[in-house]
Amino acid sequence: MKKFARKEVYVVLALFFVAVIPLMLQRGEPVSAGDADTRLIIMTPHNETIRREFGEAFSEYWEKKTGEIVYIDWRTPGGTSEMRMVLDGDFNRSDERGEDGIGVDVVFGGGDYLFKVMASKGRLEKLDVFDAHKEWFGGKNGISQKFTGEDCFDIDHRWVGVCLSRFGICYNLDGLKRLGLPVPESWDDLGDPKYYGHVALADPTKSGSVAKAFEMLIQQKIHTELKTAVREPGENREQMVDRAKSLGWRKGLQLIQKIAANARYFTDSASKIPHDVAQGDAVAGMCVDFYGRAYNEKLKKADGSSRLNWVTPMGGTSTSVDPVAVLKGAENEKLGQAFVEFLLSEKGQLIWNNRPGTSNGPRHQALRRLPVRPDLYTPGRLKYFTDAEIMPYEGKPDFVYDPAITGDLFDAMRQAIKVMCIDTHDELTGAWEKLIEHSDKDGKMPPLALANFNEVRLFSYKKTFELKKLLSKKNSRKDGLRVLEKLNRLAATFRRSYADSEKLADQNK
Amino acid sequence: MSNRKATIITVIVTLFFGVFFLYPVIDILKVAFTGDEGFTWDYVLTVFANPNYLQGLWNAFLLGVTSTVVTFLIALPLALAAYRWVFPGKKWLTILILAPLVLPPFIGAVGVKHILGVEGALNAFLIDLGMMNSAAPTDWLGKSKFWGVVMMNALHLYPILFMNVLAALNKLDPAMEQAAQNLGASPWKRFRKITLPLCMPGIFAGGAVVFIWSFTELGVPLVFDYTRVAPVQIYDGIKDLTGNPTPYALVSVMLVISLVVFAMSKLLLGKNNLGTSPRPQARYAQKTLTGFQGWLLSSIFVMVFVIAAVPHFGVIFLSVAGDWYGTIFPESMTLSHYGEGLGHPVVVGSIKNSLVYSLGATFLNVIMGVAIAWVIVRSKIWGRNLIDALMMLPLAVPGLVLAFGYRALSDGSFGWLVGASGDPVFLLILAYAMRRLPFVVRAAVAGLQQSDPVLEEAAMTMGASPKRTFTRIGLPLIGSSVAAGAILAFAFAMLEVSDSLILAQQTEHFPITKAIYALLGMLGNGHEVAAALGVWAMAFLGVAIAGAYILIGRKGGGMFRF
Repeated sequence: MKKFARKEVYVVLALFFVAVIPLMLQRGEPVSAGDADTRLIIMTPHNETIRREFGEAFSEYWEKKTGEIVYIDWRTPGGTSEMRMVLDGDFNRSDERGEDGIGVDVVFGGGDYLFKVMASKGRLEKLDVFDAHKEWFGGKNGISQKFTGEDCFDIDHRWVGVCLSRFGICYNLDGLKRLGLPVPESWDDLGDPKYYGHVALADPTKSGSVAKAFEMLIQQKIHTELKTAVREPGENREQMVDRAKSLGWRKGLQLIQKIAANARYFTDSASKIPHDVAQGDAVAGMCVDFYGRAYNEKLKKADGSSRLNWVTPMGGTSTSVDPVAVLKGAENEKLGQAFVEFLLSEKGQLIWNNRPGTSNGPRHQALRRLPVRPDLYTPGRLKYFTDAEIMPYEGKPDFVYDPAITGDLFDAMRQAIKVMCIDTHDELTGAWEKLIEHSDKDGKMPPLALANFNEVRLFSYKKTFELKKLLSKKNSRKDGLRVLEKLNRLAATFRRSYADSEKLADQNK
Repeated sequence: MSNRKATIITVIVTLFFGVFFLYPVIDILKVAFTGDEGFTWDYVLTVFANPNYLQGLWNAFLLGVTSTVVTFLIALPLALAAYRWVFPGKKWLTILILAPLVLPPFIGAVGVKHILGVEGALNAFLIDLGMMNSAAPTDWLGKSKFWGVVMMNALHLYPILFMNVLAALNKLDPAMEQAAQNLGASPWKRFRKITLPLCMPGIFAGGAVVFIWSFTELGVPLVFDYTRVAPVQIYDGIKDLTGNPTPYALVSVMLVISLVVFAMSKLLLGKNNLGTSPRPQARYAQKTLTGFQGWLLSSIFVMVFVIAAVPHFGVIFLSVAGDWYGTIFPESMTLSHYGEGLGHPVVVGSIKNSLVYSLGATFLNVIMGVAIAWVIVRSKIWGRNLIDALMMLPLAVPGLVLAFGYRALSDGSFGWLVGASGDPVFLLILAYAMRRLPFVVRAAVAGLQQSDPVLEEAAMTMGASPKRTFTRIGLPLIGSSVAAGAILAFAFAMLEVSDSLILAQQTEHFPITKAIYALLGMLGNGHEVAAALGVWAMAFLGVAIAGAYILIGRKGGGMFRF
């Protein structure tokens, strides 16, 4: 028995020793919930680095301004898709009960698509900042409503973008060398069969901003066709434009199909792609600029080189904003409105890109994102920027998003990609592998098999409009079911077609 | 057990289970059965009309079966060896091989990728040995998806089977085996005819959990980007922006398959045809293996530990890594991630929270699990087999579905569970407890099936009250099995993911898994900092489990003998 008691003591001591380490290393929170006079509840998909910087900076700003200590209660259900699920569920329940809000004051980040959807459902309050600081909007130096074709704030002032971001390509230099590939410069480059199994893609059905990137890839093709189109005999201008749009659409989808055939996966985790590329598991991937820049920085060697780089695909990406909004029924609306104002103030804006430790800069770590206010890109301020060389508002943008061409097809395009590439990914990659295997020494693939593989007639420009009509008719659950059945049938056709391509490739046809 | 008492316990437990498990799950799944004019099978039919989903279900089923077989091949020999022989270092080796129980989620996957990745440690090692061309390293994660998932599943889940089988073996009466030996049965025949059938309840208990776990496993297929498997399809579908209800129909189909497989295997395997044995009069006289034989066995245990702990090594090295890319070990080492990770303001609170949630859940599990097991095994009440099958369902419901069910529950008529301050402590204890209940129920059922009711009847005849009979005879007899279940329940509660992510909304209520998740998202060195906290969690859980193992080993009816 004595021995047993000794053992018990050892076990408790060991547990105590392990448990006490974090207590010894503990750094207190700048503001703890108990000390605060007031609390602001913010739902966000932003990472811990961003939360910490903005939480501390706003608390300090508010205390200086009012003497009140504010505690920021971050609600982080996960990424954008989890956040959307939580918001939808909570609002539906509060609607059913006839309540006003969902106990959250502010939504911060998640891409403009989420905010547009929420605004259309009447879940956002009008923002005071538009009246309080008219000078920040419009005019020569203010935030314009549209930039590179994208909305920077809601026309009805229910949300506003606070920082800029764009999609691009991150790549691993060692991986490229191994595969014998040049540095990618455009979306087209990712369709090279040498990338087979080495591309990391984001899932357009999980995130509006990813879907937007795919849409821009298609638009780029349409822009090119429109630029080079010449009228054919007997064709009027309108018909020519239609033909160019259809051709551009088809080429865009075919490119997406090839890139998808090279893809390892379609993920909904924004950080997985740069991480996998950094670790060499993927060679190139589609990734948002600040992740690319952060990983580039992290992996920088003494000589200034880094194995991970990020590029803007030539002429194929627009710049969009990451917004903030105050939710309907917010308990602490006044403070929420103040938070929005703070984010757009000089201090709030410069945190995004100033070097840590500089005045107005972040306290702990550089965030590597770009402020939305154009008037802050002045030489005096730029010298504190981490990315001063990127001048988003300088010069003519090489790509302007035109919602009139593909905007209506946004949802239909996502479904088309899901059917052609995601649901049928195994068959797609299977066929692609065979096509690569049976290519001749110049890389020419068996022509019939390739033509069959590239067949996207089921999602032609015209047919996709029909799909759009079907999708928008989802009023009843029966309509929803009909859509599902239609998509299943389409997927079955693509699956068969890929299987045929595989067979044809095997026969070298 | 009198039928009246059984009925009362059954009613209470079923009510509890109904309110806190079935109700939230049904509340979420009903979307898959609601059409314009009320109830509909249409969505379930679309699941069966979709070859993708059918293939996903089939792949999940294959993963479940194959993983269970491989798990069995690892765990059974280890358990038998630990039961029969004493070998050098046995005491620590039998604890070490439980390492998979302490692997933290998210970061465990990151650790695996650092080892198995294209520029990972394994390839670097093989290149160094000259066994691989550095210009064409193998893409382990991309090329060997199915078997990769099976191996990871098996290496993660074998402790469940190991603990259950060992608990069962320790309850065998060695007299039975000796009798067979005296009658001239060969060791193989003895094993096949006596040992195996007698410990079948333990094998079934572990096997059922392992099968349903790997059938519904989400994390491991995600690491390997193996997407055409039902749990990943459900996870993807639920998060789809269109709000399509088919994934919920797919969840329902998976629930039914889990139930059917459980019921069928119980029918085939769950019965112990040789009947229950009285409490062993003597312990099996373990043979001490010395010399080469002993060391050989020890080295097999070491090997299993090393292979199973590959993800752990990944996490440990990552937590001290400057950069770790294309080399066997990190290029440079630093301890700074520990300062940043363990010192983060969210960490200390999250440790306290996790302990409260997990201990609360384990306590609830033990009470409920033993009560239900008692009804299932000892009563003759109608429908007890159905209750038994129902108790396995929490393993088959995707975490995300249950988490959203609880969210709806706490927002509706059960708002008091969260309270005005928004503290989800009761909600999380319930959620954790419901998801881990199968471990304790299975373990307690196996324990009860192996112990003879005659002993309890004898106590009653001698005038002991039912309470005294239970506490002095019943409970001690099944103590080791319950302890095994409780340890598993506690470990897995500490590492719970979905409920933690969705239900712990405010920073001050984060459990440790959500703290790891939050740190993982830090720009720059998020993975390394999260790994540091992961290593701490492994150390804490490791000490806690080893401690429980050492303490219970003496008291728990010889469950773990060294």
